[in-house]
Amino acid sequence: MKISRLRWAILAISFVVLMFGSYAGLRLGNALPTFSCCYVNTRGGTCFMLALQQTIGAFTLESMLVFMETLLLFSVLVIIIGKAWCGWVCPLGFIQDLLFTLRSRLGGGYVRFTESVKRKIAWIKWAFLTIALVIPVWVAFPLFCPGVALNLYIPFCQMCPGKYLLPLCAGNPDRISVNYEANTTVFMSVLGLTFSAVTFIGATVKRRFWCIFCPLGLIMSWFRRISFLKLKKEDVKCTRCEICYNVCPLDIEDVYKSRGKRDVTFADCNLCLKCVENCPEEGALKATFLGKPVYVSSQRKFFDKHISSCGGGCSSCGEGKKEEKHDDQQAG
Amino acid sequence: MINKQDNDAGQRKRERFLRAVAGQAANELDSLGDSGGGNISLEYFYGVLEQVYVSNELLTVWGPDMARKPVIGLYCIMAPEELIYAAGAIPVRLCAGCFDAAKTGEDYLPRDSCPLVKSSMGLTVNSGLKVFDMCDVVIIPTTCDSKRKLGEELSAFKEVWMLEVPHIKDTEHSRRTWLEQIWALKNRLEGFVTPDGRKCRRITTAALGSAIDDSLRAQREIRRLLDLRKADMPPISGRQATAVVNSYAYAPVAEWTSALACLNDSLEKQAVSGKPKPRIYMAGSPPVFPNLKIPELVEEMGGIVVSDESCAGDRYLYDPVGSAERNLDDQITALASRYMAPCVCPSFAPNQDRLYVMKRNLQDYAVEGVVYHVLKGCIIYDFEVARVEKMLKEMGIPMIRVETDYHPEDVEQLRTRVEAFIEMLKIKRKAGAKG
Repeated sequence: MKISRLRWAILAISFVVLMFGSYAGLRLGNALPTFSCCYVNTRGGTCFMLALQQTIGAFTLESMLVFMETLLLFSVLVIIIGKAWCGWVCPLGFIQDLLFTLRSRLGGGYVRFTESVKRKIAWIKWAFLTIALVIPVWVAFPLFCPGVALNLYIPFCQMCPGKYLLPLCAGNPDRISVNYEANTTVFMSVLGLTFSAVTFIGATVKRRFWCIFCPLGLIMSWFRRISFLKLKKEDVKCTRCEICYNVCPLDIEDVYKSRGKRDVTFADCNLCLKCVENCPEEGALKATFLGKPVYVSSQRKFFDKHISSCGGGCSSCGEGKKEEKHDDQQAG
Repeated sequence: MINKQDNDAGQRKRERFLRAVAGQAANELDSLGDSGGGNISLEYFYGVLEQVYVSNELLTVWGPDMARKPVIGLYCIMAPEELIYAAGAIPVRLCAGCFDAAKTGEDYLPRDSCPLVKSSMGLTVNSGLKVFDMCDVVIIPTTCDSKRKLGEELSAFKEVWMLEVPHIKDTEHSRRTWLEQIWALKNRLEGFVTPDGRKCRRITTAALGSAIDDSLRAQREIRRLLDLRKADMPPISGRQATAVVNSYAYAPVAEWTSALACLNDSLEKQAVSGKPKPRIYMAGSPPVFPNLKIPELVEEMGGIVVSDESCAGDRYLYDPVGSAERNLDDQITALASRYMAPCVCPSFAPNQDRLYVMKRNLQDYAVEGVVYHVLKGCIIYDFEVARVEKMLKEMGIPMIRVETDYHPEDVEQLRTRVEAFIEMLKIKRKAGAKG
């Protein structure tokens, strides 16, 4: 099975499990390093961002102690497969991939974020993270404007596109509305709806649009040095052909550019392994688990994938084969 | 009357020139044929070279179709031929290796320019060889100084399209500039009509996709051939392999690929016996048919060329196009990447990538000695000698630098040096076996 198909399958299964798991009585806890949104009532488990903000928002010793356990579980989950949670599990990632594929079927172009563009927008995910960490402190100690503070409960979740898009995809369109309870809630839901719309449109013209802004992904990227799953490069085998860059959903340049680095799991990397799948050099790129190679690039894989991609409309394949046979007979 | 005499004289001169070109090519083909062991079928590839240079019949290579299509001449390996196939035109590569043409070219170009450029100039100016005459346009990438200025000089005789290659590869700016160049080339090809009304087609996703597929098939086969040469006893000699790849420059990709598939099949079955020869890596300037002087010397003196880094040899077809999706944007981006990013032509600076490619080849092909070929005037390859020598010293691989041109006069002198080098490698191997 091609790894891209496997990834689609796992993404789809994860989507169903995380969005509708409660029907089967699944309770996967509240430390999941993936957007299993707390606003989806039928979810099978809950995103770590909720626990993080709730704990800071409560700011009591007990909640902190409980949170330690959640944090530990979260860390273990991230250490085991790293940001493969994003590339292989995340329901919002699945929706983005679906939207992008839809665009590709309809035959439109798309944009890439170059390194300089990415550098310019890198602050956004830090801003989201700061909001998620600082505003709950205000919620815990509403020393000024308490009315506003109390309505800012779990502030990041209120702005997150997952809050609007995921319930919609789980069959609950009610979330797509403005909350008129107070000025603050109006503001936050308008902000959230705007981000959702931008993400929805963005995902159709840019691969994995949201992932560049995701604060959860940012937290997870801190574990990349100690994570079991890594992307590695054999320097001498790399011809710097740029194919890994061209197929990368996050437009990561450094994988092909880096010299003298074995570990090329960069902060943005979602470990979707498209680069490994499309690398034409024998063993130049590989995914390793605890140092053991689990998926290695090869020229055979490359040519099998890229030549058979011609589909049904291409007559030259058939002709080529016939000619070969013909020549064989002549040679024989 | 005088005019007629002039014409006659011109005609005779042209015929003499063509005979000389054909003579050199025929000699080279003879000696290539001799060098083979076993019954591997190189007929198709020799046939292409024979038809192009000796019998001067390009139509038999391409079939009657050719008369209806525009013919695009290419220099270097930066112009994507997939685009040309997709536009319904015929690409032929014109980087030339004829000694007599280089002599003629000397009248038009500086003495210090390289023989490859002089030879190409000579074959363009002295009309007669069809592969040069039939080109409606030539595309010249701005690689080294010689090629760049060749473009300017050739424009007096041919329609020339310059393709601007950035010289610093890995910046966002150069990637953008290069991508724009490839798009511009695509648009220019689509609008191209020859004076006699043959025209290019619009380049569609499907057409480009199948052109890329054709190239990929060729690349898959060429990699098979390269892998076969990694064996302890390579089933094909280095100069034969070079001739096989050289012939790609003049042949239709699909036919060439199926001939190579056959060749690979028969090479796979072939068992080679005998004593392993010293394994040589050809570095530096490209040996282009019929100038296979240096690989020939190496192999006559008892070595075997297992790999090279020549843009007319092992590097010509090595790198594949890998587009993320099947749409024109992605295909063109992938083409742009393939034709610049992995290219280690020394016209790029910095060109550290070349050392990596070389290092990998030296390891993969278990190379024992490197022959560094410098064509007189090929200053950029000469610039990098010291860098390469330093790396080789660290790896413990001996190197010999050979500076020459297309002239046959220095063969005997070079023979002595190459012979000594190969003897030295043999002794080194024995010492290694004992130690």
